[in-house]
Amino acid sequence: MNKPALYLSAASTISHQPTFRNPGFSAALAPVEASSALISPDYKAYIDAGLLRRMSKILRMSVACARDCIEQAGTGQPDAIVVGTGLGCLQDTEKFLNTSLTVEGLLPPTSFIQSTHNTMAGQISLSLGNHGYNMTHTQNTLSFEHALLDAAMLLREGDRNVLVGAADEHIDILEDIVAQLAFEASAPLTSAASFFVLSVENQGDAKAVLADVYTVGGTKYGQEDIDAFLDRNGLQAGDIDLALYAGTPVQGAALNVDYLSLAGVYPTGSAFALHYAMDLLGTNSEVRNVLICNGLRKSNLGLTLLKAVEA
Amino acid sequence: MDSLKEDLKKQIIEQLNLEDLTVADIADDALLFNDQGLGLDSIDALELIVLLEKYHGIQLTNPEEGKEAFKSIDTMAEYIRKRKAA
Amino acid sequence: MGVCITGIGVVSAIGMSVDENLSALREGRTGIGPLHYLQGTKASLAGEVKASNDELRAALGVGTEYVSRTSLLGLQAAREAWGDNKRSGVIRTGIISATSVGGMDRSEVFYKDYLAQSNPDYRLLTTHDSGSTTERIAKELGITGYINTLSTACSSGVNAIMLGARLILQGTLDRVLVGGSDALSGFTIDGFRSLMIYDDQWCRPFDDSRAGLNLGEGAGFLLLEGEKSIELTGNKPICNVSGWANAADAYHQTASSPDGKGATLAIEHAIRRAGIGLDQISYVNAHGTGTKNNDHSESVALQNVFGDRIPPFSSTKAFTGHTLAAAGAIEAVFSVLAIRHNLIFPNLNYRTPIAETGLVPATQLETGVEVNAVLSNSFGFGGNNSSLVLTKYE
Repeated sequence: MNKPALYLSAASTISHQPTFRNPGFSAALAPVEASSALISPDYKAYIDAGLLRRMSKILRMSVACARDCIEQAGTGQPDAIVVGTGLGCLQDTEKFLNTSLTVEGLLPPTSFIQSTHNTMAGQISLSLGNHGYNMTHTQNTLSFEHALLDAAMLLREGDRNVLVGAADEHIDILEDIVAQLAFEASAPLTSAASFFVLSVENQGDAKAVLADVYTVGGTKYGQEDIDAFLDRNGLQAGDIDLALYAGTPVQGAALNVDYLSLAGVYPTGSAFALHYAMDLLGTNSEVRNVLICNGLRKSNLGLTLLKAVEA
Repeated sequence: MDSLKEDLKKQIIEQLNLEDLTVADIADDALLFNDQGLGLDSIDALELIVLLEKYHGIQLTNPEEGKEAFKSIDTMAEYIRKRKAA
Repeated sequence: MGVCITGIGVVSAIGMSVDENLSALREGRTGIGPLHYLQGTKASLAGEVKASNDELRAALGVGTEYVSRTSLLGLQAAREAWGDNKRSGVIRTGIISATSVGGMDRSEVFYKDYLAQSNPDYRLLTTHDSGSTTERIAKELGITGYINTLSTACSSGVNAIMLGARLILQGTLDRVLVGGSDALSGFTIDGFRSLMIYDDQWCRPFDDSRAGLNLGEGAGFLLLEGEKSIELTGNKPICNVSGWANAADAYHQTASSPDGKGATLAIEHAIRRAGIGLDQISYVNAHGTGTKNNDHSESVALQNVFGDRIPPFSSTKAFTGHTLAAAGAIEAVFSVLAIRHNLIFPNLNYRTPIAETGLVPATQLETGVEVNAVLSNSFGFGGNNSSLVLTKYE
């Protein structure tokens, strides 16, 4: 099927790196350190105090990035809000689980309310006063790719601008769980949120073209799946100027960068990679094609192809 | 100074994460659920019910009953005193 | 031909299969009662599926103990909906499930031991994340490729059906198994109790005396196929998925707006998408949880859309309890049954209309009516409102 090009017109990321409101950040990014802290912008500039006081880390990050992104894009109210999250609102989930198992009397409800996966998307709609389509995808390491696929479908169905993003948050118990389950993380475990405005039209300042997104779950995959994806898009591995990968590098690409070393490890880290790629495409004219190859889990593959905006 | 009212203000600030407020910022007669007052909502009302039980040993099982009691610090203090006297 | 439903499966408090659920619906028999399998909660009544995890595992042939009840219930319903269908190299097949708490039923077992420092079994956490719930179901059925999970609280199930229909219409998939699953857990029971909307008595949707919901558990799945798939499988369509919409209420974190804005938008857009007139809706399977707020807001939305010509409507939650993310999928299966057998299900426990709106739901099983189109509503936290329109396959 011939898919029309879609434009990424704005991006906003809060992470352990200097990504927030810092165009050109991709040029000078060092690997994320175990000691690096999550950046914390002045949240009051983005979120109403009445809402902010209840918000956990993941909610603050998400709403601030969403608002920043909408402001940058200048496209007004988005037609839809689509969010991907691998593990959802862990801080509130653990808090209520703890309360539920330890408190004998009445239980405070706030952490329960905010434990549901769609709290980010819901809070963004509340913060923007948005009545459009509001969706939350949670498919492990492919949650963000599924959100992107949904957003792309909405644009093909007639929407003009969609706010799409991803968020995951770190809580201390994850370190313990990772150690106990012998999960080998190649970089520190981190938190982050990234939001984007995806549009059918280039309003003049689009940073990148989203050419295609593909996911495959529940099966082994290999280089042949990547080659087939590129072939469907009229490309070969040699046409890829930069492959941002998690797991195994992309054979044949001009340059491979392990994005986990920059973003840290969290289920929706490919959203960080997307912002990184957009930033690079916007500042380095020699980069034309970027492939994000998300193989964070061996049975799940997510592929996202970006192209430079034609002048 | 009415120590019950001061305690209530401290407890409310903590229970509801009103980090920007101090006890001095909350007037005894300020309307808690009005935007001109503290601008609390239905989730806060439930948190206040928890607060009443946790700090004052008072059980309020019908949220509707809370509406009158939670109008202001004055009415909350009055409600607590009445329940304790009963 | 559009998007066709060719298979259905359901497990809930009123039965382990479509036939058992249908019998209970016909007989007005509720599945809500004291908890038997889930111990140690403060709920006096809930809609529990009448089988232990061990019984479910044995019946489904699942060997590992590291599987959540949410996956087991999902698999039970998904297998029934999938039926004798075969995997195919030609038919692009996917699965979309919906869940609100994923493997929380296992995670809370872990966390209790973890807090007590009593040798917690970390492997229980491998089923925590919602995505793994669906991956487990997909694995048991041999479905690979497009595997996805939606989690939008109590509207999730309808959203999974909607996404599946869109994927078929866009030509991304040829057929897709869609549904939702949620198991009861102490976490959710305590959660709704903390909101003071868990009724210790039997829930009374749309009744003036309603005082909250009873939670339930279960799963519903539907097999959706497009034209290409049906040509190859030869399956007989039961119904069409004709209309769908999702809209945000953007009013409050938990409360629905008094003017029913989000719900009104969802219902209107779903019916418009179906391309039928308001008077062609034969029955509305309402969200009707039994909480003060939802039933009032939903009643106002029905009045906004239909004026004084509201079709016969009922909530089936007094049968099953509120099954959260599974609700939209279970009720879509019930809506298919309404069309297939020309039935309107009774709204149990109703006596007095809500003072502000005065709406009267269907209270008796109706069998003598022609049911051609059903509207099914599911509304969730965060103002997430979804509606679905199913129509008779012509």
